[in-house]
Amino acid sequence: MEFTWIKIPYAMLTVFIVFNYGMILTALIQKIGARAGRRFGIPIYQNYLDLLKNYAKRSSITHGYMFYLAPVFRLTGGIGLLVFVPTIFDSEMFSNLSFSGDLILALYFVFFGTLGMALGAGESGHPHAAIGVSRGLAQVTTAELPFVIAVFAVALQYQSLSFVDIVAAQQGGIQNWTLFTNPFAVIAGMMAFLGAMMRPPFDVVLAPQEIPIGPPTEYHSSYLALMQTNRVLFPVAKIVVYMNLFFGGATSWTEFAVKVFLLYLFSAFVGVVFPRFRVEQSIRWFLVWAVPVSIVSLFWV
Amino acid sequence: MVSAIFIITTGLGTAFLLGLLRDSQKGLAYGLTVLALAFMSWIAADWTWALASGAVQTVDVYTAGVKPPFAINLRMGLAEASLVLLVSLSGLLSAIYLKRSLLRLGRRAMAVLLIAIMAFSGIILSRDIFNIFVFFELAVIATGGLVLLSEDKRALGAGFKYLIISQIISILMLLGIIFVYHDSGSLNIDHIVQASTFAKGSSVAFFLLLMAFVAELKPFPANGWALDIYESAHPAFSAIFSAASGAAALFAMDKILLIGGASWLPLVTGIGIFTFVASNVLALSQTNDRRLLGYSSIAQIGLILTVIGLKDVLGDGYMFIAGGILFAHAIAKAGLFWISGMVKGRDLTDWAVLRKNPLLIFAFVTFMAMLVGLPPFPGFYAKWELVHTLMAEGRGGLVAMILVGSLIEAGYLFRWFGYILKREQTAEAITFSVRKVGVVMITAIAGWTIGYLWGELSGNVNLLSNGILLFALAFLFLEGLDARIKNTIAIVGLVGLFVLSYPDYNPLQLIFASIILIGGAVILLASYHERGPRIGFYPSTLLMFAGMAMLIVAENSFAFFAAWETLTIGSYFLILRGKNSEPHALSYILFSLGGAFAILAGFALAADGQAVFLISGLSKVAEDAAPWVFILLATGFLTKTAAIGLHIWLPGAHAEAETDVSPMVSGILLKAGLFGLMVLLMTMGKTQLYGVELTHILLWIGALSALLGNLMAAFQEDAKRLLAYSSIGQMGYALFGLAMMNHLGWLMALMFVINHYVYKSMLFLAVGGVAKRTGTRLMYKMGGLITLMPMTFVAVLIGIIAMSGVPPLSGFGGRWIFYNAILTAEYRLPMIVIFLSGPIAFLYLFRLIHTIFLGQLKDEHRRLKEPPFWIVVPQMIFIAFLMGFAIFPGLALRRVDTYLADLFPNHGLSWSGLTITSEFGYWNPVAIMIVTMVIFGTLLAWLMFINRKAQRVKQFNIVFSAERPFRPETTHFAWNFFAPYRKALGFLMQPFVTQFWDFISRILHTVSDVVRRVYTGDGQHYAVHYLGFVVVIYMFWVGA
Repeated sequence: MEFTWIKIPYAMLTVFIVFNYGMILTALIQKIGARAGRRFGIPIYQNYLDLLKNYAKRSSITHGYMFYLAPVFRLTGGIGLLVFVPTIFDSEMFSNLSFSGDLILALYFVFFGTLGMALGAGESGHPHAAIGVSRGLAQVTTAELPFVIAVFAVALQYQSLSFVDIVAAQQGGIQNWTLFTNPFAVIAGMMAFLGAMMRPPFDVVLAPQEIPIGPPTEYHSSYLALMQTNRVLFPVAKIVVYMNLFFGGATSWTEFAVKVFLLYLFSAFVGVVFPRFRVEQSIRWFLVWAVPVSIVSLFWV
Repeated sequence: MVSAIFIITTGLGTAFLLGLLRDSQKGLAYGLTVLALAFMSWIAADWTWALASGAVQTVDVYTAGVKPPFAINLRMGLAEASLVLLVSLSGLLSAIYLKRSLLRLGRRAMAVLLIAIMAFSGIILSRDIFNIFVFFELAVIATGGLVLLSEDKRALGAGFKYLIISQIISILMLLGIIFVYHDSGSLNIDHIVQASTFAKGSSVAFFLLLMAFVAELKPFPANGWALDIYESAHPAFSAIFSAASGAAALFAMDKILLIGGASWLPLVTGIGIFTFVASNVLALSQTNDRRLLGYSSIAQIGLILTVIGLKDVLGDGYMFIAGGILFAHAIAKAGLFWISGMVKGRDLTDWAVLRKNPLLIFAFVTFMAMLVGLPPFPGFYAKWELVHTLMAEGRGGLVAMILVGSLIEAGYLFRWFGYILKREQTAEAITFSVRKVGVVMITAIAGWTIGYLWGELSGNVNLLSNGILLFALAFLFLEGLDARIKNTIAIVGLVGLFVLSYPDYNPLQLIFASIILIGGAVILLASYHERGPRIGFYPSTLLMFAGMAMLIVAENSFAFFAAWETLTIGSYFLILRGKNSEPHALSYILFSLGGAFAILAGFALAADGQAVFLISGLSKVAEDAAPWVFILLATGFLTKTAAIGLHIWLPGAHAEAETDVSPMVSGILLKAGLFGLMVLLMTMGKTQLYGVELTHILLWIGALSALLGNLMAAFQEDAKRLLAYSSIGQMGYALFGLAMMNHLGWLMALMFVINHYVYKSMLFLAVGGVAKRTGTRLMYKMGGLITLMPMTFVAVLIGIIAMSGVPPLSGFGGRWIFYNAILTAEYRLPMIVIFLSGPIAFLYLFRLIHTIFLGQLKDEHRRLKEPPFWIVVPQMIFIAFLMGFAIFPGLALRRVDTYLADLFPNHGLSWSGLTITSEFGYWNPVAIMIVTMVIFGTLLAWLMFINRKAQRVKQFNIVFSAERPFRPETTHFAWNFFAPYRKALGFLMQPFVTQFWDFISRILHTVSDVVRRVYTGDGQHYAVHYLGFVVVIYMFWVGA
């Protein structure tokens, strides 16, 4: 896994594909959510319009350096996560820049954007932003826990921290997926997944009704555009991690598209059914329900 | 040589001569007295020198030229000579000190003083029990007279009570002597010992004698009279009473025990240790300085009595141990009593007036260290020997009692010292008297001298000839210089030591040495912003660094322990410098000393009688002792790393320390504990107790420390406290890594050692600088400082990114190694706790940066500037280092990795090219840095391009429920930042540990307060106590 210059355009291609897929996917999921609520929902190309509109806005203000940097941090986090993880199994072209690091890099790089975002939001001086960050950080401490334990279990199971090895071990039929070889890890992981996707019942961070969208509250125009870009990239990048760990990865873009859609749909499905938890409720929920499952998975391997 | 008899005759003769003078010839009388005492001291000194150098042997002086039993003989041996020297010198110095009082009271008082010194000397010299009795009677009369020197009205009562008790003592002593004489037909101690008839049926005779002699040593609880004397007598007399009279009575006890034989020794030890522990407990609730010193005197004498009772066990080391404790006690107590004579108020807090006088502070510290038995004083060497011998003999219980008693004693002495440095000065200032201060300083110098002497005598290294330690102590003489000059010398010294020792370090030592010496020098750069002489800072700092530098190269247990104590003392003084750190420094020193005592006991148990015990010998400890050695040593080290349960000293100590001290004690000092643990685990490895793997327990302690430390950090409002709690968590991680006992676990721990030093020092400096500017450490009172202090902000930003473990900075490397390490670990459950604690770090880190630098700027802070230049400089160095270390972790870790391969051959890393590979995964720091930076840079450029016309808006220009806020206080969301989190997990925050330690402290104080009521102040009660004491001992010892 040595670096060659050709990897750079390939990685950019991945980003481009995922970006467009994410734009459509996000709109689609939103539409499905709307239909579940008996509304019609947005057109499938709505995200493109929003993005163009935001980039085109002339009014732009800033609250300071960190305010400026936050969207950059955020999008760097999203793109970075995407390119540090191989997207398509056994494809030299879409192994991206995964030579930089393994699973642990992905696990921690998730926080890169979060941290930057929290800082930028903080500089805006808006109390809602700070409240949102406070909630988000509080929730993530336990929401991540079952996932991390599940990852530990998976790493133990495959005796590797490399995505390539982990996906390789799951090839050769659906029965080899972690989903079937260590179901508890997957259940725990998917419970944590709900917490990571910013959808009900775990969307108290953004809580549109109380603290109008929380951390990004003060962001607008091109800042918001950057964050919107991230909002379509980042969930897909995260899902890729889950897909690689638990669901056999993807050997082609088609398989990729289907798996990512289904995983995304899972969080949306839960989201439309359940109402929102308060922070302490979600903390308890993760500790009481998800963590024990993950502990079982740890002893399963 | 002048015959020893002249000591007696000079005292007696001069006293008679004084009677011939006229009342008006006060000056002459005083001159004669001082001259006589000086002559007596000279004789004793001459003998001491001659006997010590081997020029003469022990001699017997026969009075009347006839051998005993027909006449009395005096013996002059080394012990006698040195004790008489002690007695006569304390008399001489007291006479000098008492000049005014003696001149006022006239020749009678001087005669009494001479008689007292003569009598004490006689008790020491004489080998005849009846003669000893006579000298005791003389001492009683003289003591009674000297007590009356005091202007305190209560002295009269105290003297009277003393006479009552003395009568009873005399009766018992005489009865004893009569019975002994009846049985043995001799009054000469050596004859009685040899007399064959004595052994039978003479236990009552000896019992009575013993009880009389013991009473002179003020055993608990038959010692109320002595306490009243200490409290009300003139302090210069109390000095004699404590030092000279105590020494004489102890030696007398030693002599008559020859008569009783070995079977009585355990009783003596029992009385001694009971007195030692009880008196120290009772001293806890004292507020009167002299009474406190009285309790402490009694306790020390009890300890020496314990040692006397162990003379058969201690063998050759007996004189060294007993002498070490006795001289340390006598010198220190005399010195303290003399200082007490200069302080006007009688409350302990009144001693705050000493603060104006650095010399007296120095003297106080010397005396305190002597009493507690800290290096480099004789008590330290003596306790080392004592504990080692006792442990080898299997007397662990006694060791525990001695150490607990010592710890309590340290408690009230250090508390007192805290008052001196920190309490408001209420009492009148000291009127400076060259004579009195001179006496005190001579005593202090005598303390150091005898410390040197004991170092030479001990079989171990003499600490006062250690170059590193001397370098640190040399700063005492530079105190007058400006802080910046001293700072330069200190930095040069640290770096110089590093350069000199560099070739000798192994990779592990090298990492610690770099942190201690180079890291210390970097932090010291921040000290350049201080002006003035900054008295006390440099000796303490250098002492701490010296201790740590000695620690990492220590090869045997003594060097290790001495270094450990040195760094503990240095850091205590350093911590105490903080404005409000009085209680925290106290709890620091108590936990540290408690830990040190555990280490002492552990080493002693491991050494099992060996004179020099190499650290590497820990791997060969006998199997049944090994787990206990492990537990004792680990407890000691865990106290230093503030593992959960032993952590309560840390937050206050680190938070209240000065700006440049916090990073030292947090970033550097904590590593001493980790180093200890590494040494322990490296040598002893996995040890089992009743089938329980002790490293497994350490794993849990580490995990819980990480969790609770982080959790508590998240709920702090005080920025420095937050950082302090986070240290508990970080040390928990490092402990966890070590306890995994695998290659990568250790590598991770070492990575934490480096990283923690860098970012914790940087953050403490940054926060300290901010606190300096804002005047508060409460984060919610700050906000929006980013524009005013951009450099500090960047430092904190880099610090928290590194600490949180987010790529691309060096914290991630630690996390990566951690995950690889746990994959080969044996246990899985503790990992869950560690996993939970990980993200909690985000909570407090974000809070730290958000509430201080982001959010709304307060009106009162609008004119603030960046913290002082010199505080910012080290932070910038740290940033540069963090960046470098993030890209090239191999620079530091590669050699260690190879080194660890000897210890844990499996699961190492492979360092090929830029990628670091383990058997599970891989990591390429350069690539991560480049990829991240390129994406970041591109996006930033893009955003700047499209936002090139962005306008900076004013502070309150935010959309806030259709209103425009105008008060920063109500808009800055900062206080109780994680309220929902508290709701969910706040139950884990119950301060059980604090409550536990509070409970221990309260119980001790309550017991102290209740028990001391036996001392009613009524002479009859005291008489009853004594008789009761005798009866109870009879029933339990002789009767049984």
